[in-house]
Amino acid sequence: MDSSTFTILSFFLAFGGISASIYFLWKDNQAKKALAKREEDISRRMYELAILKELGDRIGYSLDVQQIIDIITSSLHQFIEYSAVSYMLLSPEKLIFKMHLERSVHQKFVNDIRDRMLGSLSALLDREFNKKDVQEIISGAIIIEELDEPVRSFFNIPLVIDEKVVGVLTVADTKAGLYKEEEMTILYKIIQQASKAVTSLQGVVKTEQAKVNAMVESMADGVVMTDTDYRILVANPSARSVIGVQNKKDITIFDFIDNLQGKFDMRGQLEESVKLNKSFKSDEVLIRDKFYRIFVFPVSANINALEKNVVGGVVIFHDVTAERAIEEIREQFTSMVVHELRTPLSGINKISELLRQEGPEKIDRKDYDHYIQLIWSDSSSMLDLVNDILDVSKLEAGKFEVKKEPKDIKQAIANRLEFFKPSADDAKLKIIALYDPELPPQVPIDESSIKQVLNNLISNAIKFSLTGGTIDIFALHHKAGSKITDELARLPDKLTVKLPEDKFVNLADSIVVGVSDTSAGISESATKELFTKFKQLGNKPKTGQKGSGLGLAIAKGIVEGHGGSIGVWSELGVGSNFYFVLPLS
Amino acid sequence: MKKILIIDDDPTFQETTSGALKNAGYEVISASDGQEGLVMTEKEQPNLIILDLMMPKLGGIDFLNILQKDRENNKIPVLITSNFSGSDKVNAGIEHGVRGYIVKSDESLKTITNAVESIIGKTGE
Repeated sequence: MDSSTFTILSFFLAFGGISASIYFLWKDNQAKKALAKREEDISRRMYELAILKELGDRIGYSLDVQQIIDIITSSLHQFIEYSAVSYMLLSPEKLIFKMHLERSVHQKFVNDIRDRMLGSLSALLDREFNKKDVQEIISGAIIIEELDEPVRSFFNIPLVIDEKVVGVLTVADTKAGLYKEEEMTILYKIIQQASKAVTSLQGVVKTEQAKVNAMVESMADGVVMTDTDYRILVANPSARSVIGVQNKKDITIFDFIDNLQGKFDMRGQLEESVKLNKSFKSDEVLIRDKFYRIFVFPVSANINALEKNVVGGVVIFHDVTAERAIEEIREQFTSMVVHELRTPLSGINKISELLRQEGPEKIDRKDYDHYIQLIWSDSSSMLDLVNDILDVSKLEAGKFEVKKEPKDIKQAIANRLEFFKPSADDAKLKIIALYDPELPPQVPIDESSIKQVLNNLISNAIKFSLTGGTIDIFALHHKAGSKITDELARLPDKLTVKLPEDKFVNLADSIVVGVSDTSAGISESATKELFTKFKQLGNKPKTGQKGSGLGLAIAKGIVEGHGGSIGVWSELGVGSNFYFVLPLS
Repeated sequence: MKKILIIDDDPTFQETTSGALKNAGYEVISASDGQEGLVMTEKEQPNLIILDLMMPKLGGIDFLNILQKDRENNKIPVLITSNFSGSDKVNAGIEHGVRGYIVKSDESLKTITNAVESIIGKTGE
């Protein structure tokens, strides 16, 4: 072994170092992407949490009409004189009757007002009320039996909110002739203003609530909300489909407990969240063929500005099945790339180990030449793979530049045909070019990258074609409105595999370039996955030939960079036609 | 002389490993995929099989699945040599009762010959 061998060896050691660092660069890039994705996930999660927080706040945010009326009545004496101001409000279970006495009155006075108010409310709502349903609260001055003064002045105003009568407000006095036009107008205006304000506020709350409901309904995540007794208040369609009870009418916590089959202790986790006021996040849980990450939160309502009160709990089921699948594919891809890089590298490493062991004088010329040949082929295949990986990462990062210049497409094809002729001969395959006589002399292409696409298509055709077959490389000028099958007839010879007519129906003026082979063909379902990056490496050509399998993903990226598209038409047992379309405008 | 069958589609690995094993005094035969490997196993009755995982036609794990059902030959010790280092692949190997798992790029030819010696002993013994 001469000194040049050592030079070569040290070159390959350096080469190994470089490619390893390229690989790590690539990995680093992948890691950054994973990080960016995670950040995206987190911000989406924050958004979802914000919605739920709002939902919780809304529950505690009910407009208290009674409070508003209380405020009005407590300040009314500044404008109007009265012995008593009172209101009667409808609540779901009873009638609230509240009277505030400015001056002491007889019990009969109180009873009289109450009866009058009941009467007018009945008239307004056209409904009978039972005296037993009235909850009475009297405040202010005391009732004195000696003051037997009847109601001499009386004025009633209906309380209307959102066009519905919710109660009446009354001022009354023992003096006669008090409430004239002026006082009545003031009172009317105050009440009108208040009811307007309440109505519009209620409108806001209603639309907000509708928005929140719509959001929850349409959320991709399953959302379940319960009160503090774990009764279900909300279970959106996604949550129902998690446990497979889409159509059940009254869904309860037991539906969840039964269908989760002990995989997640929803009741226990809710209890912990509600009682300890803390949130919880689960690991991935498999429920009915899908993976979920489950979040549990307490929901608080504002009692007032300072105090909060837990009013229930929320459970979110976030479907991570797709994320998991992508992660799995990514891991597989990484593992395949590592494998493909290690194989030639370990080959080179083993050869150098043998050369070192045996010593330069023991190696005969024949073995030496053979070893050099192996080093050459191993390093070439590794170099190809590293270049492919770099191209893929450039394409993914959008940094693959396409510089279009007018070029003769025939020349580019002829050049590639010449390059691949020897390997086609070795594989006992005929390789021919077929040009449309109506091809324009110049086509705007990035010549070097189009050559790369042709390299991928032609080398695949050689790899997969059966011995004795033919590979046709063709270029065609497609004119808008023409049928592709008619146009194919302009080629000097027939193609083994035709082109799908429907794919060319609404296509503008363009150049169609394709490689038609005589391989075993590809099933229709398999053709869909051909151009994706990850699937490829897993399905290596079964003929034992090497290749990164990234070629078609790269070709797709380049053609799309030209504004074009790539496709395949395959007939089982006949062959495949891989073609790409470049727009002319 | 003890006979070793190397089943691997990588010509460089075939070349170098068989060279090292021949130097250590073993007889070495080779197959370039699992299918050919099965034929050779039946015909040659090797003392040990060195098996790659990713190969055309029939991969390493599929090869082991078939070999395990073969009553005559399932006692032949198998040593996996692969460039996969993931625990899933190693575990798959262990489940199939292989005698060793060597990550090619991490280990030298010497490690492979040492592993072979430890499983079937030095040749002529």
